[in-house]
Amino acid sequence: MQESKFAACLTILQESGSEFILVGGVAAVLQGAPVQTFDIDIVYSRTAENLQRLLGVLHSIDAIFRIQPERRLSPNLTHLDGTGHLNLLTRYGPLDLLATVGNGLTYQDLLPHCRQMLITDSVRIQVLNLDFIIALKEQLGSEKDRAVLPTLRQTAREIKKQRGDANG
Amino acid sequence: MRADEVENQSARASDYSPDGVDLSLIRWFISLTPAERLAFLEDQVSGVMKIRALNAGE
Repeated sequence: MQESKFAACLTILQESGSEFILVGGVAAVLQGAPVQTFDIDIVYSRTAENLQRLLGVLHSIDAIFRIQPERRLSPNLTHLDGTGHLNLLTRYGPLDLLATVGNGLTYQDLLPHCRQMLITDSVRIQVLNLDFIIALKEQLGSEKDRAVLPTLRQTAREIKKQRGDANG
Repeated sequence: MRADEVENQSARASDYSPDGVDLSLIRWFISLTPAERLAFLEDQVSGVMKIRALNAGE
């Protein structure tokens, strides 16, 4: 099966052994939310081993900072070890690496709120569940986040309703 | 500006508008041709449908 670019990017990350969680718009779309999104957002574990793995992957997919693409600046270990967001452009499209989300929530904090999803016939990744994505966006409260909330909430309601119907 | 200063500037260069919109993403998408934009969207939609089908029933 021909992989989409974002599935190919996530597959490379997963097969490298990197520890990450898919969050944000693509995570919501994969769970059924009909919203348009363009970049892959992942929260990553900041252990030293994981930063090394991630750095290798980023180099292999030609990751550069998106803000000044003409400079072709590549992320390094110091960038990955920071606490901010790295907005990158790769050969597979935009990829955002987040050390934390919301009020400083880390990879470890988010793990209990994940579900595993297949992204190819054989590759599973951790995806932040839709209810927690909604909670994060409610917490962030920017105009952009608020704009998408009604669609996410209704999607979550429909999923629960369908599960209830199926179980009932 | 020194190279390391440029790199550090880029590292915190999450360029968001006050209402939370990622401006670097918009600039990247604008930089594509209309055909490239459409191809990106088609690839993404196709990929999403495949992954949803793989996870149907879970």
